[in-house]
Amino acid sequence: MHKLLARQIAKATNEAGSVDLEKLFALIADAYADVDRDRRRTDRSMSLMIEEIDTVQRNLQRTVIERTKELRERDAELQAQNMRFAAAISHMSQGLVMFDSQTRLVICNQRFLAMYGLEADGIRPGHTLRHLLERRIANGTISCDAEHYADNVWAMVKAGKPTTRFIELNDGRTIAIDNQPMPGGGWVSTHEDVTERRQAEMKIAHMARHDALTGLPNRVLLRERLNEALAHVHRGQRLAVHYLDLDLFKNVNDSLGHPAGDELLRMVAERLCCCVRDTDTVCRVGGDEFFIIQADIGDITDAEHLARRIAEAVKTPYALHSQQVVIDVSIGVAIGPADGTDADQLLKNADMAMYGAKAAGRGVYRFFESKMDARMRERRTLELALRNAFDNGEFELQYQPILNLDTGGVQCCEALLRWHHPERGLVPPAEFVPIAEEVGLIVPLGEWVIRQACADAAQWAGDACVAVNLSPTQLINKNLLPAVLDALASAQLSADRLELEITEAVLMQNSEVTLRVLHQLRALGIQVSMDDFGTGYSSLSYLRSFPFDKIKIDRCFIKGLGQSSESDAIVSAVVGLANSLNMTTTAEGVETREQLDLVRRLGCTDAQGFFYSPPVSSRELSMMFTKRRKVSFAAA
Amino acid sequence: MRAQHIVWNGQSGWRTKGEVGDPSLVLYFGTREALACGRRHEELRAMYPAAHVLGCSTGGQINNNDIGDDEIVAAAVSFAATKLRLCRQEICDAHRSRDFGEALGRALHADDLAGVFVLSDGLNVNGSELVAGISKTIGPDVPLTGGLAGDGANFQETLIGADCAPRTCIIAGVGFYGRAIRVGHGSAGGWDLFGPRRQVTRSVGNVLYELDGEPALDLYERYLGPDESKGLPGSALLFPIQVYDLQRPDSAVVRTVLAIDRDKRSMTFAGDVPQGWTAQLMRGNLDRLAAGAADAARQARSGFDAKHGDPCLSILISCIGRRLLMGQRTIDEIEAAGAELGPDTLRLGFYSYGEISPHAKSRLCELHNQTMTITAFAEAA
Repeated sequence: MHKLLARQIAKATNEAGSVDLEKLFALIADAYADVDRDRRRTDRSMSLMIEEIDTVQRNLQRTVIERTKELRERDAELQAQNMRFAAAISHMSQGLVMFDSQTRLVICNQRFLAMYGLEADGIRPGHTLRHLLERRIANGTISCDAEHYADNVWAMVKAGKPTTRFIELNDGRTIAIDNQPMPGGGWVSTHEDVTERRQAEMKIAHMARHDALTGLPNRVLLRERLNEALAHVHRGQRLAVHYLDLDLFKNVNDSLGHPAGDELLRMVAERLCCCVRDTDTVCRVGGDEFFIIQADIGDITDAEHLARRIAEAVKTPYALHSQQVVIDVSIGVAIGPADGTDADQLLKNADMAMYGAKAAGRGVYRFFESKMDARMRERRTLELALRNAFDNGEFELQYQPILNLDTGGVQCCEALLRWHHPERGLVPPAEFVPIAEEVGLIVPLGEWVIRQACADAAQWAGDACVAVNLSPTQLINKNLLPAVLDALASAQLSADRLELEITEAVLMQNSEVTLRVLHQLRALGIQVSMDDFGTGYSSLSYLRSFPFDKIKIDRCFIKGLGQSSESDAIVSAVVGLANSLNMTTTAEGVETREQLDLVRRLGCTDAQGFFYSPPVSSRELSMMFTKRRKVSFAAA
Repeated sequence: MRAQHIVWNGQSGWRTKGEVGDPSLVLYFGTREALACGRRHEELRAMYPAAHVLGCSTGGQINNNDIGDDEIVAAAVSFAATKLRLCRQEICDAHRSRDFGEALGRALHADDLAGVFVLSDGLNVNGSELVAGISKTIGPDVPLTGGLAGDGANFQETLIGADCAPRTCIIAGVGFYGRAIRVGHGSAGGWDLFGPRRQVTRSVGNVLYELDGEPALDLYERYLGPDESKGLPGSALLFPIQVYDLQRPDSAVVRTVLAIDRDKRSMTFAGDVPQGWTAQLMRGNLDRLAAGAADAARQARSGFDAKHGDPCLSILISCIGRRLLMGQRTIDEIEAAGAELGPDTLRLGFYSYGEISPHAKSRLCELHNQTMTITAFAEAA
């Protein structure tokens, strides 16, 4: 019997043992109903579940179809991307190689293989970095310990930071290798041949520290070398810094042109290099300025010897464009560490010493002295004042008459430039003319002198000439001729009343240009005289090269007249020479009657000096002319 | 430890079977209708003036191998060496269930606390939170068992009597102290999962709004069909739901419905249904539900040494949902459990709105639904 039925019968049976059938049937009916409900519920839930699962399955199928389509499309897109990627990689200008986290090759492009002379057949994905290196060692593109190299690369990749390094191949190529770690532990490397770039960079680096014209170190490298040298100066040791400035180099550029100037600088550079030891450094820091670092000198005399050698080497004449050119150099020397423990101080002091050399008359060397600093400041002040003096009308011309020893009349008056400084009073020309030369004021100042002298002469009674000194710079200036013509025209002065005085130094430099200009001036009727004859080279060839109208015999010979037989002989010889060349002679610096008598006896045609008259103003001169017009000095 | 078997019915009044000596605890279970008047409590109080009297309303009483709806079943229990403490806590706000649980746990806590048996209002409480609150204060090593009171398939009102006339909105617990008491426990369902897995797409605490974006009540009504839908929320017990966190499959718990809101299309469960968890419907097969009950009995019995014999008293608390589904065959699960527990243990219990027991796998005490949960008591000699 089913245990439920047994239970129902037991439940329907009373304590007396009789079965309550009605109760039993009700229980049975309830049980049937329970079963029916359960069956219906089960059926319903099963069909709903099937429906739901069916829906889920349909959705799943639809999703699968959609996802499959998407995946196919993505697959196609990936394939296309892969093709584009492969094309891009194979056309890269850099070599590209990718390794996995086990240092095994994943991919590399053709450029990578070609760069290291590797055969595509011998390199396959899965090969290790070490294998690739061994192949490269075998074909000679690299020399290294493959294991050590691979370990180094791996250590850098493991550190997780991108790295760039440069390697030199055995054939001289430089390769830049950029390692970029990837998520997951591998890395990608790009290899670029940067040989040309590196060479260009090195060239640029060289250019940045060297002078293009001479190839010498420039100011940048000068400082580096000087700092280095100073760092190595030990107790008791010294070094010297020589600052060289070519004297009147500008004149070479102006007269012969810049190419000739550049050529001269190259020649100077070569000579300088020949003067120094390998341990010394020659630098060019600007137009005509050079520095020499003389390392590790034992004694100051070492520096002195070098300065002398330099001066000699530089002043030896140059054959430039089939002309002979002579140039001097002014040298300033500073000694480290005594004159400065840092580069700035040493360079500054060498600069100051060089200006000391310039002031001392050029072509010489000077060692730095502490008082130079004060002198330099004074000079700068003067330079500033000189620039203002022109605008402020502080210049004045005075004239010293030149006496004709035959007629006793004033043949000519030499214009002498005077500067009345508002505070310092009268500044001697020897002090300010060199500055005017250096700062470029000499040309406008010289033009003013010519113009003023012509204007003054036009006011004088009579026909006395006015003599004006020309500096070498003026003579090679292209504007000289127009300026002279303009001055004559403005003053309405006849050209034969203007006399220009030049020194030997003018002819020593660029004589061809100078001679051409002198001839042009003389063709206008202007007289040209040789000033201070006897003080320079006194080369007779100069007298032959140009038909001077007059030779002015320097005061040093006149001063010795009657005291030294050499002076008498020289004056006599010059007079003889002048006569034979059809030139007149003027004795300069005649201060006594005895000197006057002597120069007259020796045959000089003219005399100039304090004995007759000191320099006077144009106004005083005019008065003198008016007063003494009729007076003969022949008896004087 | 000794237990006296007590039964009350309308015809015979209280009848007792066996001697108990000086009982310190009386447990009783009856329908709401039978308990609501309070007289039964007073009668028991008079019969056992020295004992704590604890009972609740049910969805049917288990009386050894029988299930009845008309009788009140009870047991008077005396202990040789075990001390008891009964505490009760009024619940005024279901949202503070954890707080009330903690308060009850604090009241029962002591160093020698060896077990706690709890009965709670079955409708005005969040059972998960209540259990969490008690567990927190008594600690994880003290076994916590019990159940939520029932109200047949009506879901109207549940009652708890704890040294007082039975009434609503009460939680009560009895603590067993000392080294003598042995408490065995087991809990198992035996339900079969069926249908697709669904995601809890909207829920707040124990109120479930949506599964896979569809109102939860729509799903239940579809499965129940128009006739059984009229029986909601009781009929929803035919399809309990298992919820678990996909990341922690061990977290799987079965939830049973306490109430529905037809306007909001929501369903209120006896424990939390966390949003984002996975849910799957369950259905019962009579044989496997009975096998589940046997499994629970084996777990409860496993804590007792064979040489000490059967437990003295076993309290069987089974879900009302199981009874609704099994109908007259419900006795199958009572018999199956009884066969495992042995003939010498007094087996009493009730059909509940929720069961409390440590989880069979995690050992963490939790609220269960749709299970047979058995607590077996004995005292060491």
